[in-house]
Amino acid sequence: MVSDSITNAPIPSAPNSRDFSKKKRANRSAKLKQCKLDARREQWLSQVAVKSKGCKEEGNCAKKERDRSLENPRRRDQDNNDDGSIHHESDSESPSNSPTNSLLGGGGGSGGSDSGTNFVGSSSSRSSISGSSSGGCCSGSITEEEEEDGCLDDWEAVADALAADDDNNKPEPEPENSYSQSPSESQLSMQSDSTPELTNGLGLDSANSMTETESARMVPRISGNNTQAWRPDDAYRPQSLPNLAKQRSFPATNRHFGHGGVPWSRNSVLGAPSSCPICYEDLDLTDSSFLPCLCGFRLCLFCHKRILEEDGRCPGCRKPYEHDQVESEASVQGGSLTFRLARSCSMIARS
Amino acid sequence: MNSSIGVGGMPAASWVSTTSLSASGKRIQREMVELNSDPPPDCSAGPKGDNLYSWVSTIIGPSGTPYEGGIFFLDIIFPSDYPFKPPKVIFKTRIYHCNVDSAGNVWLDILKDSWSPALTITKVLLAIRSMFTNPHTYSPIALDIAHMYLADRAKHDELAAEWTLRFAK
Repeated sequence: MVSDSITNAPIPSAPNSRDFSKKKRANRSAKLKQCKLDARREQWLSQVAVKSKGCKEEGNCAKKERDRSLENPRRRDQDNNDDGSIHHESDSESPSNSPTNSLLGGGGGSGGSDSGTNFVGSSSSRSSISGSSSGGCCSGSITEEEEEDGCLDDWEAVADALAADDDNNKPEPEPENSYSQSPSESQLSMQSDSTPELTNGLGLDSANSMTETESARMVPRISGNNTQAWRPDDAYRPQSLPNLAKQRSFPATNRHFGHGGVPWSRNSVLGAPSSCPICYEDLDLTDSSFLPCLCGFRLCLFCHKRILEEDGRCPGCRKPYEHDQVESEASVQGGSLTFRLARSCSMIARS
Repeated sequence: MNSSIGVGGMPAASWVSTTSLSASGKRIQREMVELNSDPPPDCSAGPKGDNLYSWVSTIIGPSGTPYEGGIFFLDIIFPSDYPFKPPKVIFKTRIYHCNVDSAGNVWLDILKDSWSPALTITKVLLAIRSMFTNPHTYSPIALDIAHMYLADRAKHDELAAEWTLRFAK
């Protein structure tokens, strides 16, 4: 019975779910959230497209996975018996849980414009659903119709959970059941291969567009309730993810650099100017670490050279430039330390 | 407006050859933007025409001075090696002032020896405006006017107001 409903589910579900979601969306006040979800959905859809290349029809895609889950009917029966425990366990433990669901949802999402958004909600609001399941209010004894509805409303309910709509008409356990019977099992069978595939998808994505924060936001979804980001030594960490240590070092150096610049720029009016006050060209690193005069007036090397050729006086204080400015300046700043700091920072940033 | 001023400074055509924006051109352009966004009080300045190096400026005589209410036109000529060399500022409106010679040249230290590339035309205009209030009698170009200012301030102010009324209004 259950397996029938599962195999049948995708085909009638597609139009129904669209209707449902349209209605609900019209009533929903949180339109802004929808925009976010849309963006998220596109992201996932692209990943799904990578993963399920070739299965253009949503039904096919969903069927495939369900077929996979049907490969082991005995196991399915077992799962049906102790439904709550198993899927709850899978919720909390398996990192591939939400990916699997999302893949299903993504397959549906490729057909309808609405379902994708809902499915996004499903992955991120996993915790609430699993909470309801741990409450023990789910049972395997539902009719086919109910279950179909549950399957349909699943995305809706999950999106509601995301929007923190607690006064949802649809009962929460229903979605849970629909999850437990198809995705959690397919995930059990797919657990081994789904994760690498997904990381591949991630890797493709990260190659062009993924930033650090993006990946951090996506990771929790991948790992279900486990909200930790990829650790550098994580075995599943996509290799094409940007090297965090490298990225982290960049703002750090900037901070250091700005910090090192503070004692110097104390004298100058605008702190460390970004452009030469003489020629208005941007100061590069060499220029900005160049302090030709004790008064703190900064200028680019070109203008300094030109002034040395003609006037030879600092534009800031009109005193003649000295030739051993660097040494005297470092000693006056009380910091060959600060000087060295700024220098090393500039070298780091350059590397 | 320009034609009424009369004496032309430099022929504008001589500068047209600067096709690409040189360092001085970029600097002058930036100064123009800054001057328009935040003009000093009672001052305005801008290029006469297409030539970025030839500006015309107006300064309104500050209140409390004998130049009050007068509108003084100035030509500003930027050298090609500006800002390493100071701009040339010439009064086009006759003014009774000890720091302006009979040809209208402004004799300010910051436009001569004390020029600094860090100065901008905004600061120059402010310096000229402050010159209205406080003539630099210690370094005058018009000695008689400076002497008059020191010896008989009332007479000086009367003459200056008369010139302002006659030439600057």
